[in-house]
Amino acid sequence: MSPVKSVPASRRDSSRSSTGEQRWFEATMPHGATPSTEGFGAELLPYVDALYNFARHLSRDPHNAEDLVQETFLRALAARAQFRPGSNLKAWVFCILRNAHLDLVRRRTIQSTDADAELAAPDGEAELLRGDIEIDRLRGIVSEQIETALDGLSADGREAILLDLEEFNEAEMAEMLGCATGTVKSRLARARAALRKQLREYAK
Amino acid sequence: MSAFDCETARRAFWGARRKQLSPAEQRDFHAHLRGCAACRADYEQERALDEALARLRTYTAPESLRQRLSLLVSARQPTPAATPRRRDKLRIAAWSSALLLTLSLGTGGALFWQHRTRADDVLVTEAINDHLRVLFAQNPLDVASGGIHQVKPWFEGRLDFAPVLDFEGNDEFVLQGGAVAYFVDRKAAMFLFKHRLHVITLLVFRAERLPLPAPGAIKPAQLTASTTAQRGFNVVLFRRQDLGYALVSDVDASELEKLAGKIANAR
Repeated sequence: MSPVKSVPASRRDSSRSSTGEQRWFEATMPHGATPSTEGFGAELLPYVDALYNFARHLSRDPHNAEDLVQETFLRALAARAQFRPGSNLKAWVFCILRNAHLDLVRRRTIQSTDADAELAAPDGEAELLRGDIEIDRLRGIVSEQIETALDGLSADGREAILLDLEEFNEAEMAEMLGCATGTVKSRLARARAALRKQLREYAK
Repeated sequence: MSAFDCETARRAFWGARRKQLSPAEQRDFHAHLRGCAACRADYEQERALDEALARLRTYTAPESLRQRLSLLVSARQPTPAATPRRRDKLRIAAWSSALLLTLSLGTGGALFWQHRTRADDVLVTEAINDHLRVLFAQNPLDVASGGIHQVKPWFEGRLDFAPVLDFEGNDEFVLQGGAVAYFVDRKAAMFLFKHRLHVITLLVFRAERLPLPAPGAIKPAQLTASTTAQRGFNVVLFRRQDLGYALVSDVDASELEKLAGKIANAR
């Protein structure tokens, strides 16, 4: 018996391509008529806040976040025929935003501190925060410190934390990030360990 | 005795945090935690981190963005002309506060360049959105260019006006083709030029009721244009008789104005 949700074989490490959006499209080919832009757009609008929040934390800039959400809408509307009704629209549109963010970083070489921001997974992590006092301190961390710690993660780590917060499952995250579910798990574990380490510093 | 060992229990952390374990799994998981101080402590750390992350600031989309997206959704498939006035007002209200004002003044060809007005912002934003659609579209052209004499006739019967474009393109500004597009609440002829590696979108549309630079506003019998930089793009707007022209690209403003001059001067 495994307590962890199994991953469909079709989604297991099917490709290492970085174009998760494309793979998602391939997995969600249309069966019927293309939805109208207004109808499809109306389906997207409820995700504006979640998309903006994701974009804001990814880009760390309010103007870039707005551009990203707008680009996401344009791309989603242009590609609406490739979305299969009934599949996970939120995951699909988050995937589009992530790819738009990667394109934006490449195209504009916007300010990115990701290269040197990787916080190494701490040695002896199991020993950290072992006591109740440390846990209580962690619980006393304030919002600004959490955001600063999140900003200090690598782009991969930040993505994993944010998508986990949106409650996407491992298979969905793997699809979006274009990697294996095992990679998602390890990225998330590393990112959470790095966050804990940083927050522990704040809590001292 | 618990059915879970430490390895199984740790694999179950994710499911337990998400409350996705079955009742039986949940029972075994907690039974293991009760008997294993190390796993219990590690799981508490995970939960404490979740509690901390729950306090992470959540950003809400600005109202201006929300309205812009609503308009974008509806603008892609314009409704019959019953509501353009209301929509125009809404666009002005939604966008005017968020737009950057960068002014480029100069003269070129027969065009005179005038200060932008706030009303221009609506058109600038619309033009950039149309340009973005072109950039994102896999096949933005309905008709690929074999020259202006092939592109212009293609629009016959597809528009309720004849787009006037006498500039045929040259080595510097190569005409790529055209397509039917929408500009604000009306159909438009969209022409695509290439300037080196850059894409330039030209939209030609009926000018009525749009706040375009007025002909002769600065000097009678001369065309008047405005240039705006916004979101990394330059936009040139001008009016020629009953038609409006919007040029959009990320090329330098002076290059775009040069093309505008060629379009305005061509006979």
